[in-house]
Amino acid sequence: MSLVDLEISRRTFFTAGAATMAAAGLLPRAAHAATDGTPWYRQGAIETTFGVCDMCPWRCGIVVSSVNGEVRKIDGNPADPKSRGMLCARGQGGVSFMNDPDRLQAPMMRSGKRGEGSFEEVSWEQALDFIADKLLEIKERSGPEALAIFGHTSGEYWFTDHFSQAWGTPNAAKPSSSLCLSPREEAAQLTLGMGVGGHEPVDWDGLRCLTLIGSHIGEDTRNTVMQDFADMWGDGGKVIVVDPRFSSVATKADHWLPIKPGTDTALLLAWLNVLVTEELYDADYVRGWTTGFDRLAAHVADKSPAWAASITDLSEGQIIETARVMAERKPQSVIMPGRHVTWYGNDTQRLRATYLVNALLGAYGRRGGMYFNKAPYLEEYPHPPYAVAGSAGGCSAGAAETSDELPLGPSGKARADGARETFLRGATALQELIDPMITGDPYRIEGLIVYGTNLLNSVPNKPRTREALAALDLVVAIDVLPQEHVAWADVVLPESTYLERYDTLWSVSHKTPYIAMREPAVAPMYQTRPAWWMARELGLRVGLDAYFGWETIEEYLDRELRSVGSSLDEMRANDGIIIQNGKPYLEDYDGASPFHTPSEKIELFSQQLADAGFDPIPEYESTPEPPRGFYRLLYGRHPVHTFAKTQNTPALNERYPTNEVWINAQAAASEGIRDGQEVWLENQDGARSGPIAVKATERIRSDAVFMPHGFGQNAPGLTRAHGKGASDTELQTDYALDPISGGAGMRINFVKIVTEV
Amino acid sequence: MAQAFVLDLGRCIGCEACALACKTGNELPTGVSYIELIEQVRGSFPDLEGGFDNHRCLHCQDAACVAVCPTGALYKEDGLTRLNTPACSGCEYCVTSCPYDVPRMVDGASTKCDGCKATTDAGGGPWCVSTCPSKALEYGERSEMLRTARTRAEALRAHYPNAQVYGETQAGGLGVILVLPDDPEVLGLPRDPDPPTVANVWQGVVQPVSIGLIGATAVAAGVAGVIARRNHMAELRDIEEAEQLVGDGDSSEEA
Repeated sequence: MSLVDLEISRRTFFTAGAATMAAAGLLPRAAHAATDGTPWYRQGAIETTFGVCDMCPWRCGIVVSSVNGEVRKIDGNPADPKSRGMLCARGQGGVSFMNDPDRLQAPMMRSGKRGEGSFEEVSWEQALDFIADKLLEIKERSGPEALAIFGHTSGEYWFTDHFSQAWGTPNAAKPSSSLCLSPREEAAQLTLGMGVGGHEPVDWDGLRCLTLIGSHIGEDTRNTVMQDFADMWGDGGKVIVVDPRFSSVATKADHWLPIKPGTDTALLLAWLNVLVTEELYDADYVRGWTTGFDRLAAHVADKSPAWAASITDLSEGQIIETARVMAERKPQSVIMPGRHVTWYGNDTQRLRATYLVNALLGAYGRRGGMYFNKAPYLEEYPHPPYAVAGSAGGCSAGAAETSDELPLGPSGKARADGARETFLRGATALQELIDPMITGDPYRIEGLIVYGTNLLNSVPNKPRTREALAALDLVVAIDVLPQEHVAWADVVLPESTYLERYDTLWSVSHKTPYIAMREPAVAPMYQTRPAWWMARELGLRVGLDAYFGWETIEEYLDRELRSVGSSLDEMRANDGIIIQNGKPYLEDYDGASPFHTPSEKIELFSQQLADAGFDPIPEYESTPEPPRGFYRLLYGRHPVHTFAKTQNTPALNERYPTNEVWINAQAAASEGIRDGQEVWLENQDGARSGPIAVKATERIRSDAVFMPHGFGQNAPGLTRAHGKGASDTELQTDYALDPISGGAGMRINFVKIVTEV
Repeated sequence: MAQAFVLDLGRCIGCEACALACKTGNELPTGVSYIELIEQVRGSFPDLEGGFDNHRCLHCQDAACVAVCPTGALYKEDGLTRLNTPACSGCEYCVTSCPYDVPRMVDGASTKCDGCKATTDAGGGPWCVSTCPSKALEYGERSEMLRTARTRAEALRAHYPNAQVYGETQAGGLGVILVLPDDPEVLGLPRDPDPPTVANVWQGVVQPVSIGLIGATAVAAGVAGVIARRNHMAELRDIEEAEQLVGDGDSSEEA
């Protein structure tokens, strides 16, 4: 039993009274605790509050312990379906994130040139009045569509969903769509008629074979996935890992396939070939729930393992053997949909190929395969109809459903991201809204509100983003930390962290749909405010009063909770979680189809893609190879960091303060580079980043290098992270647009190693 | 009752949640860490194997660090090796005597895992155990943990045919029973760590370092005395009394 369990079940146990301590018979001395040696949980009464973690987008339910008005410890909420009482390293670092002295503390307005980072503190009134005036000017001059709103992290709803739709701009975008999940979601919509959603619906309980393609469990430390993986693996489940790198999870693999980067679709087609030619597929399932099998079989007839071996740098035997391992365990055998799947620009087709393998294995809607997730029932606080439909997508609440319709703003303008022209469908492509800020094509984006997002450490082609930031008429940055792009803002609004605020109810599409609450553990620090407060204050200033009809956030939350017969008080009394029933399996649909495609079946052959001029069954397309002397730049995660957000967090920074670049040991030796040497990386366009230490290792192929993302930060206000290591974003001056989903494929950049400046 | 941890290195995926839970639960200051995750990958591309070493105090029953500690800052309790930091004199004997290279000197004092004494005394579990997403850690009565470790090693053989339990007997039995995916030598662990007898500790570490401090005989006496009488640093300075205790020869509280 952990301390947090005790806190919840016996809340009076740790009261401050001397009597309690006397009853316990001691005042134990922790090795290194507070100055007088008393551990934090003996310094006063522990107050526990419920929350939802914001240290990564996975959003585990948490219990926050505070003593004497200070947050001291965060633990997983045992009642939460995601955390189940446990928490990853980053979640543990939340107290340190909140107490980072580098935080933005007061509203500020620019006093020098954009990008210089010269600001003066202003009052909230001044800041909000200024923004409201500017917003109304833009609307008057060019229509509401001329405002773009970008958002990421858990308060994004308030600006990127609610405010944007009330205001009337279709140009609201989230990096979690086109810089991360869009290909995965669009491939799922096209193939299955449903999105994957924020929580990949692998039915771990009963799963017998897991295949990962570029998924890095253990480095990407999504708590629940690590738990489920460990249980499945611990029960003897087979694991196949396809990765150019011997990743943390590859160390657990029964089969590691060190594939040549960019050739995954060839492998997938060969696996389909083996499943078809050896008749290893689930014939009944294919007959009952799919369409286009004959055309698929004909399509993959010549995609033999020998053909794929020559492309992927794997052996024919490996390909055949792994296909058989998968098939022997069907339907409790799945290729897990990855996260961050924007790699090479043809990503929707690659994801479709993975779903076709899963379909032939009969995995969808089967126990131990892939379940169908379901969003919880919860009514929104009443508001008038939105001025424009939402299409920002993202990985937040609910499956990231996107409509086929392109939303039109009140002045009749559609999204400025080129949807329908440069790409087919899906959520707004954030990176495609940058050009219109510079060129005015198809129309000019004049103002930008950036909530979180870390613009200059997430969007490829940094020089272009800087140019856009300089060209805009209004830039508002809402953030917890002085991230690099904040220096380009006209107005900076400091946000309270997730430990200091209420927020929207976290309604999670899941096997068991559930609702989690976030309440403040402590009052907002400094002059910071929550996003809901900022959005409302701005809304009231620009005539959107009707969309913010509540007086207090408690009233707003209670009203929404009433729709499920609950209230804030009742939720608190029930461990902060409401769990509903799901419909995870085929049998839960009483013969009706859960697949909302035009055919009501899994579309192995996609008429929708054929009609739009795309390959109706995925083809392998090669991606350019690194020029001589260059390596393909791969990037990923370190287990204690999230994106470029946590590198400055003291406790996490201490653990891993800078990144290193993995280079194959032989390749390094042949370049005369030694392990630990500091080098710079220079990409195909001459962009440089570094210095960064070399990790000369056997754990990676010799045609690619790898580095954890989020380092090499330029923001001087991030005193711990500034200048540490190299930035992959700096080196991603190019990207390949996925013509189907609008995703930005970033693994097409190449770097060479430079040993002298 | 002797307590123990199980640490299943087959299951550990190197996520570092334990290290941060320890850090934050114990509010360890900057520079202090009780758990270190160390990559252990062997072989040449593409024939690789390995995982992570979760480097931490293994809580030896016959703890060399306790045997050499002249002040009683290190002592055995409930089968675990506790550390009363304010009592540490900074002599570093524990650092040089540890067969597993665990204690570190920070600000002149020894630092290492103390088995979450304060937390477990308060009725909670050790922080690392309660947060581990891979469920690679358990904590409880040592005999029960030994059984658990054997069951885990058996399960691990589905992936690692040579999986085995380590720590049943080493150093008098470890308070962190390891479940290893392979032979200890392969993972850089001594199959049989040098027995930390008072004699070789004295000859190898205490004698050379201590001469000129308070006298070799006195320290030798102190070593044995502390083994029997943990945590009595004031009395340790009473050389006469300490000398009397040399004869007790009880080298383990928790044997």
